[in-house]
Amino acid sequence: MSTLYFLTQQTMFYSIPLLVVALGGMFSERSGVINIALDGIMIVGAFVGLFFMNRMQATMSGQGLLLLSLLVAGGTGVILSLFHAYASIYHNANQVISGTALNLFAPAFAIFTARMAIGVQQVTFINQYRIAQVPILSQIPILGRMFFTNTYITTYIGILILGISAFFLLKTRFGLRLRACGEHPQAADSAGVKVRRMRLAGVMISGLLAGMGGLILMVPVTTAFNGTVSGFGFLALAVLIFGQWKPSRILMAAFFFGLMQTIAAAYTGIPFLANLGIPSNVFKSIPYLTTIIVLAFTSGRSAAPKAAGEPYDPGKR
Amino acid sequence: MHKLLQSDGFKSIASSLIAILAGLIIGYIILYVTNPYDAYYGFMTVIRGGFNSIPRGIGSVLYTATPIILTGLSVGFAFKTGLFNIGASGQFIVGGFVAIYIGVHWTFLPTSILWIVALIGSFIAGSLWAAIIGLLKAFRNVNEVITSIMLNYIGVFMVNFFVVRTTYDSLRNQSITPSLATVPKWGFDTLLPNSGANGGILIAIVVAIIVYIIIDRTTFGFELKAVGFNRDAAKYAGINEKRNIVLSMMIAGALAGLAGGLVYLSGTGVHIEVLDRIPMEGFNGIPVALLANSHPLAIVFSGLFIAHLNIGGFYMQRFDFVPEVIDMMVAIIIYFSAFALAFKGVFEKIARKMKGDKA
Amino acid sequence: MEYVIEMIDITKQFPGVLANDHVSLQVKKGEIHALLGENGAGKSTLMSILFGLYTPDKGTIKIKGESHNIHNPNDANALGIGMVHQHFKLVETFTVLENIVLGVEDVDKGMLKLSNARKRIVELSEQYNLRVDPDAYIYDISVGQQQRVEILKMLYRNNDILIFDEPTAVLTPQEIDELMKIMKRLISEGKSIVFITHKLNEIKAVADRVTVLRRGQYIGTENVADVSKEEMSEMMVGRKVDFTIEKEPSKPSDVILSVRNLTVASKHGSKPAVNNISFDVKAGEILCLAGIEGNGQSELIYAISGMIPIESGSIVLNGEEMANKNVFARYQSNLAHIPEDRHKHGLVLDFDLSENLVLQTYHKKDFQKNGFIKFKNRLNHANRLIEQYDIRAGRNAKTNTRSMSGGNQQKAIVARELDRDPDIVLAVTPTRGLDVGAIEYIHKQLIAQRDLNKAVLLISLELNEVLEVSDRILVIYEGELVGEVDPAQVTQQELGLYMSGSKREEVTIDA
Repeated sequence: MSTLYFLTQQTMFYSIPLLVVALGGMFSERSGVINIALDGIMIVGAFVGLFFMNRMQATMSGQGLLLLSLLVAGGTGVILSLFHAYASIYHNANQVISGTALNLFAPAFAIFTARMAIGVQQVTFINQYRIAQVPILSQIPILGRMFFTNTYITTYIGILILGISAFFLLKTRFGLRLRACGEHPQAADSAGVKVRRMRLAGVMISGLLAGMGGLILMVPVTTAFNGTVSGFGFLALAVLIFGQWKPSRILMAAFFFGLMQTIAAAYTGIPFLANLGIPSNVFKSIPYLTTIIVLAFTSGRSAAPKAAGEPYDPGKR
Repeated sequence: MHKLLQSDGFKSIASSLIAILAGLIIGYIILYVTNPYDAYYGFMTVIRGGFNSIPRGIGSVLYTATPIILTGLSVGFAFKTGLFNIGASGQFIVGGFVAIYIGVHWTFLPTSILWIVALIGSFIAGSLWAAIIGLLKAFRNVNEVITSIMLNYIGVFMVNFFVVRTTYDSLRNQSITPSLATVPKWGFDTLLPNSGANGGILIAIVVAIIVYIIIDRTTFGFELKAVGFNRDAAKYAGINEKRNIVLSMMIAGALAGLAGGLVYLSGTGVHIEVLDRIPMEGFNGIPVALLANSHPLAIVFSGLFIAHLNIGGFYMQRFDFVPEVIDMMVAIIIYFSAFALAFKGVFEKIARKMKGDKA
Repeated sequence: MEYVIEMIDITKQFPGVLANDHVSLQVKKGEIHALLGENGAGKSTLMSILFGLYTPDKGTIKIKGESHNIHNPNDANALGIGMVHQHFKLVETFTVLENIVLGVEDVDKGMLKLSNARKRIVELSEQYNLRVDPDAYIYDISVGQQQRVEILKMLYRNNDILIFDEPTAVLTPQEIDELMKIMKRLISEGKSIVFITHKLNEIKAVADRVTVLRRGQYIGTENVADVSKEEMSEMMVGRKVDFTIEKEPSKPSDVILSVRNLTVASKHGSKPAVNNISFDVKAGEILCLAGIEGNGQSELIYAISGMIPIESGSIVLNGEEMANKNVFARYQSNLAHIPEDRHKHGLVLDFDLSENLVLQTYHKKDFQKNGFIKFKNRLNHANRLIEQYDIRAGRNAKTNTRSMSGGNQQKAIVARELDRDPDIVLAVTPTRGLDVGAIEYIHKQLIAQRDLNKAVLLISLELNEVLEVSDRILVIYEGELVGEVDPAQVTQQELGLYMSGSKREEVTIDA
């Protein structure tokens, strides 16, 4: 039983960032812009957020610092996403090239700035944010041990983001117009929707969520950031595709992949798995292998936004 | 003059040059912001690149350029067929390992051909690793960017596993030297001593020429381009798009695998470190390909150029600058190259104004 | 205030083409005004300017007597102008309701509140007899119903100046009649209509006045009652046009293509796109498969050409069973295919003309040796076709295909397909989007093939083309053959009944 608790607690640490970043990717792609720079934005968001934390942890403390760092990370993500948005939306640049440029830039920037500012390339921080037990809620039998013990506030923020995202996408005027831009921008344009502006919003939201996602990933799993998120941004893209661009499915996909990631990282803490005698490298490969296998079966019928990736050309009738 | 401005070749080269200029300028600004005093000297060191230390620097440029020309060819070849081979790193390490394995364990072969067999092994291993990407894309419509990234990680884990079990130097936690399989120097060591330069650069250039001939002069290249430009039309024309996608990835993988073989067999003491790190040579192929607009012959030059900048970055360290600034510069150059379309539009406008065109 | 719309001296330049050259248009309140011209004459551009999708380089626009600058569709809407486009601007994954309210949604603090909209739409659809289910998804409803959604969009926004861009291209003759009735109804409720078309019959049926454009220039405006079809077409084309096509009676001989019990699955839904179809195509005849778009013709052709797999049945070409063979093998059996979509299938736009002209033959001994391309031969081949078929291309064989005009692109495809000396030609809407000159040319080519004893399977949506060009007509409806008619005997109305599924009969094959 304690294995189950351990599993769910750990899974949260991986699922929630995947969820948040994938939702960011969803807003961008459903508005019509492919953003493969999610990984790079995660890196820079995590870096700036953790750097901020590192500088401020002497004077501030507690969840407040975490929340503030989260905002810093998100803001950084937005700024970085503006480069992608400017190139893709206002100059009809190749979206894959623009995204790749950001991915190439991010780790170099993180290492460069770290070494120039603090002399070493690793950014460390004190993890003072673990919530051992949420008052009252952790007393609920079973569920309390699973979801409200040994947890972080970022987990609940992530769920909140899911709720807000789903609501915004499906129930508001903004969401309707955004989706129209990703499916049939000419239709939106002739209905009076400002396609470029909607797409800019979509990309900025993806920057915000990817930046925050980088921080959300790093805080529970390590105390030293080394300029990489181990391809998580791309795993998030896989979650987006597996989730068929819909919030409810993305949630399920994020949990599935989060679980795989947990098994890979924490299997030594699960006696059943540790005793199987499988080499550690195989475990480490599990999240990546399952991604490929899952996509091999689900990529056939794609519900991808029809106009995603195509630069909007008002001349095309 | 306006005809020149409108020619495709000019527009591509000019766009790339503008992107390079933009990257260099911003690079200089970054240096200046971090350390105004040394910024100029640091920047000029970068510009001088290999010429900072003749002949050793030049040799270093050739040595560094070799793998990225090949991974650039790998990425560029895939681009021509409409695929993004961001998995070159995985193919690189898989190919590199196979080359080391053959070099260490197949010593029953005469030394004169051992390195050749090892390189062929790296070539084949890379192509098989990339075939997975091609098959998944062609038959299951799986996004090749994601498959590639996944296989990069799986490749590193897998190779680390096998290195430990077959070619391990436990003291230094890396692969052992395949001392009998070394790419011949072909005079480069006398010409450019102490630089690591070897015959690999010639092999890379020859391969680039072969790739160019395949793409532009053969019916196979014609098919690949057709599939890359318009998969539906290729289907209409009776071209087997699925087969071509797989073959294209296999060739791209072979090129990246060969890059790995050339690096680890260079006899310069480079080893596979058993760490969870994805080799950068694969990713560095992307800017090389993009800057050259995926043209095989241009890739040789963009590979040399980026190697030149990287060596400059190495020497720049004496000014206490962090060499990652070079990677940032390259990333910025690539970012601006994404605006190529916009630049091309500008050239068109200028050309038309020069013609006095009203139409 | 006589005129509800006045467009004066409108000029619009696009790279390489002067779409509107000092064009003027005056529309009276309460009239149906037709805008006539060939493809490329500038009609769509002019109306797009009125609707705010483009801004004119020069000229003024007056609505109800006042000058206005219309920068975007919102401005146009505010002035009461609405447009139904030729290619519907509907989001397939949205419902009818969502599509209608897009851009003018009712909100409560940002959240969508659609109950009032729903009520209004139901009211409007009853008032104008435009019945449609507000909660149906666009991908589920028919093309005719989609057009009604487009009309409802305009009515919902209280537009009283309505622009219709080639509205009848996708309708059956019966649906066209209904549309004409709807238009007259709209006029009686005080609206004014501009109706873009190149179909003279329809102008005669509903329009009060007609303005003719040719190659971007204003030719003239006439009262429809005072002008004949011949006069209108002469204004449109610039010369006398012969509507009837000269041709000898056909002399069909051997069966070249034999299709038996062919069933092809559909991408959406469980009903097959092609349902147990059997027919023959003989050498020396032009067999036309007539039908409304979306009744299985596309799937049928893709199945015959090998581009999609079939569920069951047989396709015998020159005596050989093809059903399991790939596209390549079918070309080897002397099949030619002028495809429906020249940009998607017919050409690789990023290739140059010489490359596109060998798209299926690049591997033949003439054009390669040991895998290496023989460039000189390719060039000579291209030059020969350019001259023979009068293909206009800026840099001849080296022209980037993307920069060629639609008509010349189509000519290139036709040249390539016919030059292979095929036994059977599959020609799918070969004259779509082309001007009268190109249309005449392609019709001549098809008839020439037939006279050379080739078989031609023609798929067409243009009733004129169907009746004038073909020797025999089979009508396809919902994937089945519902009638066989003789073009010399059948009327447009009767043909329309078959095409809409209102009339059907068993189609037998002379064994």
